[in-house]
Amino acid sequence: MHIPFCAHKCHYCDFYSLVDPRDRQGSFVDRLGRELHALAPWGRGASLATIFVGGGTPSLLPPFLWDRLLGVLHEAFDLTSLEEFSVECNPESVSPELFSTLVRGGVTRVSMGAQSFNPSHLKTLERRHSPGNAGRALAMARDAGIPRQSIDLIFGIPGQTLDDWKHDLDDALALGTEHLSCYNLTYEPGTAMTARLKRGEFTPADEDVEVEMFRITLSAARGAGLERYEVSNFAKPGAQCRHNLVYWRGGNWLAAGPSASGHINGHRWKNTPRLDDYLSIDRDGFAPVSEHETPDPGRALTERLMTGLRLSEGLERAWVVAQATALHAGAASGLARAIERQTALGFLETDPARLCLTDAGFLVGDSVILELAGALDL
Amino acid sequence: MPDQTPHIRNFSIIAHIDHGKSTLADRLLQATNAVSAREARDQILDSMDLERERGITIKASAVTVMHRHKLGAKADDLEAEYEAPVDESGKHASKKGAPEEHGDLFMLNFIDTPGHVDFNYEVSRALKACEGAILVVDSTQGVQAQTLVNAYLAVNENLTIIPVINKIDLPGARPIDVAMEIEQTLGFRAEDCLLVSAKSGLGIPELLASICEKLPAPRAPVSDQLRALIFDAVYDDYRGVITYVRVFDGSLKLGDKIRMMGTGRTFQVTDLGKMTPKPVRVPSLGPGETGYVVAAIRTLKDVRIGDTVTLEHNPATEALPGYQPPRQMVFCDFYPATSDGGDAPDFEELREAVEKLSLNDSSFTFAPVHSEALGFGFRCGFLGLLHMDIIQERLEREGGVEIVQTAPTVSYHVLVRGTDTVVSPSGQTLKPVDPATGNATDIPPGHTLVDVHNPAELPNPSTIAQIREPICRLEVMVPQEYIGDIMKLCLDRRGTYKNQSMVSATRQLLTFEIPLAEIIYDFFDKMKGMTSGYGTMDYEVTGYRSDNLAKVDILINGDPVEALALICHREKSEQRGRALISRLKEQIPRHQFEIPLQAAIGGKVVARETIKAFRKNVIAKCYGGDVSRKRKLLDKQKEGKKRMKSVGSVTIPQEAFMAVLDQGD
Repeated sequence: MHIPFCAHKCHYCDFYSLVDPRDRQGSFVDRLGRELHALAPWGRGASLATIFVGGGTPSLLPPFLWDRLLGVLHEAFDLTSLEEFSVECNPESVSPELFSTLVRGGVTRVSMGAQSFNPSHLKTLERRHSPGNAGRALAMARDAGIPRQSIDLIFGIPGQTLDDWKHDLDDALALGTEHLSCYNLTYEPGTAMTARLKRGEFTPADEDVEVEMFRITLSAARGAGLERYEVSNFAKPGAQCRHNLVYWRGGNWLAAGPSASGHINGHRWKNTPRLDDYLSIDRDGFAPVSEHETPDPGRALTERLMTGLRLSEGLERAWVVAQATALHAGAASGLARAIERQTALGFLETDPARLCLTDAGFLVGDSVILELAGALDL
Repeated sequence: MPDQTPHIRNFSIIAHIDHGKSTLADRLLQATNAVSAREARDQILDSMDLERERGITIKASAVTVMHRHKLGAKADDLEAEYEAPVDESGKHASKKGAPEEHGDLFMLNFIDTPGHVDFNYEVSRALKACEGAILVVDSTQGVQAQTLVNAYLAVNENLTIIPVINKIDLPGARPIDVAMEIEQTLGFRAEDCLLVSAKSGLGIPELLASICEKLPAPRAPVSDQLRALIFDAVYDDYRGVITYVRVFDGSLKLGDKIRMMGTGRTFQVTDLGKMTPKPVRVPSLGPGETGYVVAAIRTLKDVRIGDTVTLEHNPATEALPGYQPPRQMVFCDFYPATSDGGDAPDFEELREAVEKLSLNDSSFTFAPVHSEALGFGFRCGFLGLLHMDIIQERLEREGGVEIVQTAPTVSYHVLVRGTDTVVSPSGQTLKPVDPATGNATDIPPGHTLVDVHNPAELPNPSTIAQIREPICRLEVMVPQEYIGDIMKLCLDRRGTYKNQSMVSATRQLLTFEIPLAEIIYDFFDKMKGMTSGYGTMDYEVTGYRSDNLAKVDILINGDPVEALALICHREKSEQRGRALISRLKEQIPRHQFEIPLQAAIGGKVVARETIKAFRKNVIAKCYGGDVSRKRKLLDKQKEGKKRMKSVGSVTIPQEAFMAVLDQGD
């Protein structure tokens, strides 16, 4: 579920969001409610296993609107076997009242956008909270009865030293978090920060420093008992974000809200990323869709390589070979050669059952995926 | 009363590129009402899209128009307004009054010529069909290098030249200075230059009068046997080859059985006519006339430009002088771009496109070639660099194939010890130099002189006695202040200074002798750059000469890449090798591993560079399961990679194969 509202549009962010003086939040929640009702039959009677609410800043919705939204959710769907219900929060926009509303609605997990514990780096990112906020917000959530928590951090911020990053990691782990997402700052096309980079307003982080940051992230997380399960995600045993695993494992999920994307058995679609359209176009409750893809075996395998290899568990080797063989004569042999090469370079594990990246492979994961997907010769 | 037999004037328009030759041709057609203003498109004579886009004329065309002129008329009496269209039957219909009142009828045959040095051969054969030439000079640019070269060609053919100063309507026009330049460099009297604006039509009636008054009539026939010079041929999908001829003696009629005197081949004439510029059929072509001939000729290979056409039943005894085979001076490989590892379908597409284009342009050569790095392709020979660019563009545009082009090399003559057949390292037989080119000279006893136009085919170095390379006479025209820079550039490129002469008070003409190999890469751009765009140049290959040349191998990740090998002067091999691998370093993206780049002569490394491995290559976040977006990014990268070529495990962008061109020293 995508809640597109933010108090401020941070200049590095390329997700769909907008600063709204609250006057459209009510009609947005009502519209989202209609979409959820429309989507419900698509669950085919099965109960939902996981829910993830992202944004934007979902915690910016006032408790009474959350109450309305959660009510619709329970009305439309069978949530009796819900295993995980995550909501993204920003440290500065939470309150005990919000958390108790979320708990009442079945929320089991919060993902806290701390990003950094260093005031100057928070300023560089245009984040508005202060370093202590994140810890206080997490304590508040725990006190309200939300059992699972995650912290989001960003590294490779211009001006950030290796030591600064170590401190951020230490501060996050000191909060006893069971789940950590550490994202290397990327300059996405079309963002204000990318434009400023192009104008030479600041110096981006050095590649060698970023590589070192990747390394110490891994060792610090491991030191605190968190293992990498995805390129940028670390968790204590059993504390992985199950909803995210659905994405990486090629599972099925529904999508609601502007710019949200869904996937069911190879069909992929994405809602139009425009609040006005979302509010004004209502086809029996369904949202306007700007992209839709239908199943295609070659594309499906490419996507599985792309998503599956991002996980430490990787993919089942035999399954990959079978899929490639079914594509066309050259695909399996091409893929086998590419796998052999990437293994020789030390980027793929030699595990006979699983096809997965090594620690070195994670650093260059996209190039490994490109080599493998390219070898399918589609 | 029937029209009297018209006076005939055959002429060409010659000029430096962009001096307005094609616009002038259009204006003449319009002024004689051959085309209406409404019909007039820019540059009517240039039939190919490419020609219009690049603003240059590639293929010469011949057009016939009728014009009335009172011989001896004074400038004030010229009837600027009066012109009448040629009707379907070729008759000249009058608009007001009897046609005869408006003077004698003139048949003007004009032949549009290519303006670039690469096509000098086409220019000179077109000039052989003429008695006169209009030399066009831009009044803002003045005399340029190609102006001179083209004028020399016309003088060599004994043509009468009318100097025309064009674009006099432009604010920057300085016709008096330019007239002085023409007098200074070419010896025409400044006051004989006609002032014209092809764009506005100013001076056009005077030019038409001058064509009728000053250009000589065709020479009288010397016999009754047909002798017609083939000065151009184009391929038409529906009618086969359309040949343009100029009749000198005898006459050619529809249905005649003709014989090409050079090849001995015979054909039946099925269509005969003139372009006005629309095709108009005529029953016969007489002495002095030009026109087109259709005779069921299937490919351009069956026609030699410069050959003489005679009649099968009453043949002439001697051909007209003129035939020379076109000389390919520049060679490079074309490979299909999308092919990875030499997929058959892409190569077949390229083959089809090349073969189809060769029907249209017989002056480029092609032979299949295979490269480890680039798969299957063609080794092609061109008249010059522009010709190469044009062929590449036409293959891509008309043939719908994407091409990887390797760096061009010149044709070397290699003197090998022994008289056995000479073979290349890949086992190909190397052809001895054709004595007809006039360059198969100074072959000592017990030696063989072979043609090598691919560095990869250089025979075993221990058998090589000499490597000879084409030498040019280069003319550069520059403003005074750049002379020092141009001197330095030419001397750096193994040029020898020959002569300097004044064009005007501020501009000089410099003449050098310089190896062609030194001007086929980035010379033109450098010259333009250092003269702020004011310099112009032209060159002509004059012969072959030996020098201390060597083959430089380029190794990527330890593998020699033949498509990047080059032949250069031994003293410059280190510099060239270093420059090339630094360019490669910029062109080849970082890989998952370190890539050494080396330049070597016979196993001895003269320069090296390393492309470091990338250390990090991963998208940090893939938000909310928006997999499609990331996959599209991956597809794009995959597509990009497909367009690259693999050498061992290294993928090389196609641009890298052109890196040899851009030395950036």
